[in-house]
Amino acid sequence: MLEHVYLIALIPLAASLVILFGFKENPRSRAPYLGIAAMLWCFLQSCAVFHRVAASALPLSYEANMEWFRLPVQIAGKAFALPLQLGVLIDGPAALMLCVVTLVSLMVQIYSLGYMHGDPRLRRYYAFLSFFTASMLGLVVSSDLLVTFMCWELVGVSSYLLIGFWFEKPGPAYASKKAFITTKLGDCGLYVALLLLFTKTGTFQISALRESVAHGYLAGAAATAVALGMLLGCIGKSAQWPLFIWLPDAMEGPTPVSALIHAATMVAAGIYLVARTYFIYLASPVALETAAWIGLITAFLAATMAIVAYDIKRVLAFSTISQLGFMMCALGAGGYAAGLFHLTTHAFFKSLLFLGAGSVIHAVHTNDMRRMGGLSKKMPITFVTMVLATLAIAGVPPFAGYFSKELILKAVYQHSPAMFFLLAAAALLTAFYMTRLIMLTFLGAPREEELHQHAHESPASMTGPMMLLASLAVVSGMALAHAGFIERLLPLSAAAPAEELAAREFPEWLGAGVSVLGALSIVLGFLLYRGPAFETAKALKRRFSGLFELLENRYGFDAFFLRLVEAADALSRFCFWFDSQVVDRVFVDGWGLLTLIWAEAAQLVDSRLIDRTVDGFGLLSLDLGGGLRALVRDGQVQEYLMYVAIVVSLFAALLLMR
Amino acid sequence: MSGLHLLFPEVALSVMALGVMLADLFIAARHGRVLYHLGWIASIVALLLVGVTISDPARYQGVGTLWSVDPMSQFFKMLVLLTTVLCLLLGLEYEDLPPAHAGAFNALLLLSTAGLMFLVSAVDLLEAFVALELVSLSSFILVGFERSRSKSNEGAIKYFLFGAFSSAIMAFGISLFYGVAGTTRLIGLSRSLASNPVFLLAVLLILLGFAFKASIAPMHFWVPDAYEGAPTPVTAYLSIAPKIAAMAVLLRVFTILLPASALRLTGLLALLAALTMTIGNFTAFFQDNVKRLLAYSSIAQAGYIMIGIVAGNTLGLEGVMLYSFIYVAMNIGAFAVAQLVASQAPEGAGDRYGLSSFDGLAQRSFGLALAMAFFLLSLSGIPPLAGFIGKFYIFSAAVQSGHYWLAACAVVNSVVSVYYYMKIAYHMFFMPAPDQVPLRLGPYLCGGLAVAIAGVVIFGVYPEPLVASVQASAQYLP
Repeated sequence: MLEHVYLIALIPLAASLVILFGFKENPRSRAPYLGIAAMLWCFLQSCAVFHRVAASALPLSYEANMEWFRLPVQIAGKAFALPLQLGVLIDGPAALMLCVVTLVSLMVQIYSLGYMHGDPRLRRYYAFLSFFTASMLGLVVSSDLLVTFMCWELVGVSSYLLIGFWFEKPGPAYASKKAFITTKLGDCGLYVALLLLFTKTGTFQISALRESVAHGYLAGAAATAVALGMLLGCIGKSAQWPLFIWLPDAMEGPTPVSALIHAATMVAAGIYLVARTYFIYLASPVALETAAWIGLITAFLAATMAIVAYDIKRVLAFSTISQLGFMMCALGAGGYAAGLFHLTTHAFFKSLLFLGAGSVIHAVHTNDMRRMGGLSKKMPITFVTMVLATLAIAGVPPFAGYFSKELILKAVYQHSPAMFFLLAAAALLTAFYMTRLIMLTFLGAPREEELHQHAHESPASMTGPMMLLASLAVVSGMALAHAGFIERLLPLSAAAPAEELAAREFPEWLGAGVSVLGALSIVLGFLLYRGPAFETAKALKRRFSGLFELLENRYGFDAFFLRLVEAADALSRFCFWFDSQVVDRVFVDGWGLLTLIWAEAAQLVDSRLIDRTVDGFGLLSLDLGGGLRALVRDGQVQEYLMYVAIVVSLFAALLLMR
Repeated sequence: MSGLHLLFPEVALSVMALGVMLADLFIAARHGRVLYHLGWIASIVALLLVGVTISDPARYQGVGTLWSVDPMSQFFKMLVLLTTVLCLLLGLEYEDLPPAHAGAFNALLLLSTAGLMFLVSAVDLLEAFVALELVSLSSFILVGFERSRSKSNEGAIKYFLFGAFSSAIMAFGISLFYGVAGTTRLIGLSRSLASNPVFLLAVLLILLGFAFKASIAPMHFWVPDAYEGAPTPVTAYLSIAPKIAAMAVLLRVFTILLPASALRLTGLLALLAALTMTIGNFTAFFQDNVKRLLAYSSIAQAGYIMIGIVAGNTLGLEGVMLYSFIYVAMNIGAFAVAQLVASQAPEGAGDRYGLSSFDGLAQRSFGLALAMAFFLLSLSGIPPLAGFIGKFYIFSAAVQSGHYWLAACAVVNSVVSVYYYMKIAYHMFFMPAPDQVPLRLGPYLCGGLAVAIAGVVIFGVYPEPLVASVQASAQYLP
């Protein structure tokens, strides 16, 4: 099974191409079933791979490569042909990610059958979904950072295509552009880091890089530079502070796509890349510390912003950013397993939350939570699954989020207690805003009768995936954490900072305290947003209006980046002015004028001198020919012979006299 | 051991020629076309036999008493046979030949071809002379084959008189040669002969004897009259086969057996080459008859080929062979179109081979006009057609061997030649057509044209296979 693991990435790619070129655009197209079948195959194969990896006593890392092409390089004046490999590298994290990505993608594709029902561009939608998943899977299995980078960019491209799927509306078109350009900003860092990496080590191969780092070829400032450059790429892709601005806008895409982006494909790529190249980060404490702080800031800021949002999807978007911050912080603090574990559990409950949100939007045709309320009776399945997911994300035991969050908090506490408290606060905020979401959407009295009247439960194709994901949101944490399985699956390969681990013991009461406080914040949310008009919350908002405005403006980051874009715009306008007014006028037009003058002169010479010479040559030829012809009168054989005789004699004389 | 077995393709062809003559007795005049078919089939058979000699050099190649059979000679033999096949295809579509004497026509053509095959292998002056006479006598009759046409008779008589004269010159040269060297064999001559003035005189006279066949100035006077008078297939044949065979002999004699540089004759040869192409090109200006125009053009082409002999290096040797091959394709194509156009020229319009017969050909049969344009452009050496490759090869040989003025003269001549070649194109594309009736294209002529156009276009665009085969054939004994 492991030998054919490359199929997992190639089958969805093939499926997307077949759908794109083999099917006709038609709202009743059969294309979705092809995409779903391909993904089902991939999921089953991923499960088999996962089983192989999990069942082995030591998590094996399987690697198979084939030579792709040779890159001519010059090192110290000597020319080499460096082979670049195309291959797969399967280890614990990769196997786990394979399962997560294929499962979420499968669920999203099934769900989309109901959600996108009757869309005129269904074929294109499914082709893009398959392509998106294929890119991500390629990124997961690749054994070579260059190929990873290519898949990374393909993920960016497909997210651009999917966020802007309804490109005829201005919102999605703008959002897709924003997402693409913002992540591209981060990619610059990643690109530079890869170049630097190649210059330092001469390879893109992950296993070879691991060797290089182990031998100390990449250390100190170089390692820090590489790690920070990669971190910049991950900050863009995983929507970390300060490049998180694209993610809330990305909500303009179809909701299942949001589920995919948030849970499995796009944003997970950044975290996964950090985990994949963790050995480089371990070589650079500065980069680790930076990652931890960025994750912390992101987790806290995004959680506060989620409190004030009224758009159901935006709340979830901020929540995702915040949770990604948790993971980044965990990775930075040395909690390698904790970060990846949270990535897994988060994938399940966050995709569920988005699918649930999609179900609600499908029912009431609005994103605004202020116009919902009391939907629990109309949509019982959606309600129950959403509540389960909320409990999971809020970290209530024994749901999935509890285990992973606990692990993260533990790792962070061991790293630094100060960071722990800030992160714990973010966790409490999580519980609060999720409760708020449930209260506003499902409980209380309906705030708009008409919307409420028309609301209905979603079809089975939508509720089915939700129920399956809900069961995973409940049990996955418990199952994976059981008997230290997750630590075994995701061993910290290189020499872990063991002395630091031993340094600080995580007190049990602290974990329990966080759980209790989390429960309290749920209760607080319940109290604040009780009743049809949630008066208490409104009163609070009036009192702290300045704070609320600050949060609603997302701390001004959007404005800041907008200002940045405006500045760049002004600069390019100036450059355009300079180019068109100064460069064009003086150099180009001036050069043109010179050319014109030169051409006039050349034309004069040409017509007066050269043409006449040519004409003269022609006339000369005619005269010469005429002379030759006049010499011999046609048809007189005796004259011919006489000429021959003369010439022969002439030649003979010349020859004999020389 | 005389090595007579080396000549079995020639012997077989001669026997087949006599067989065609005999067959004439048993075939009724109205079935005369059968004999043409027999003729070209005999040529193909000979071609295959030559192919056999190439396939097994150890067995079928070597030096005999009077002849040398080597890749170079076999290359030229194949060219000559190819020309014969194509000319007989033209003959099948030529309606003015008297059907009663088809056997004689074919037999003479085949005998002439056999003579040319003997000629290209000759390493002895006597054999060369006899072979030359066989060719000459056959072609005198072929030129005058249309007895009812006065032009044909006139051409034959002039050709005969001139031929007799040049044979006399050559025989005189051979006798002098024998007197000085004591042999007529060209292999193993003493080096001291090179400084003997009588020997040089003998060589000059022999050179002029060959020059008659190759239509090199000053032995070119017969060309326009004979070409104009002869039936067009014969004109095509005469303008190609004897010319390249004579060039092969000159090549063998003056680059291999008696190198021109050793005799200090390079200057004279260069002068002859320059004179030939200049006279050919500049006189072609004033021709209104396509056959005469092509006759002068073929004189000029002989001048170009001669440059390869003047150069005397490997590149020149290969250049002569390459150019000969390309020359076959483009010249036969041009004559084929000329024959077709003249045969369907309107009655009573005067000279049927006049340039006015080509008026508006592009509007009547665009494909044919395009093909003719290709042949003419190739003859004037314009890329990407094959003629350019040939000229390029030959001129590079001249430059490589240091004959800069000769190369310059050749380039100027090429430029001048564009004028009269394009005169035909002008008539085809820019003159109004007298009527819009497309020309009838017979199957055999069509086949010949297809071969020619393929050669001109394919080897112009992709010359590598041709160059490779020429390089493989540029080996000689001894």
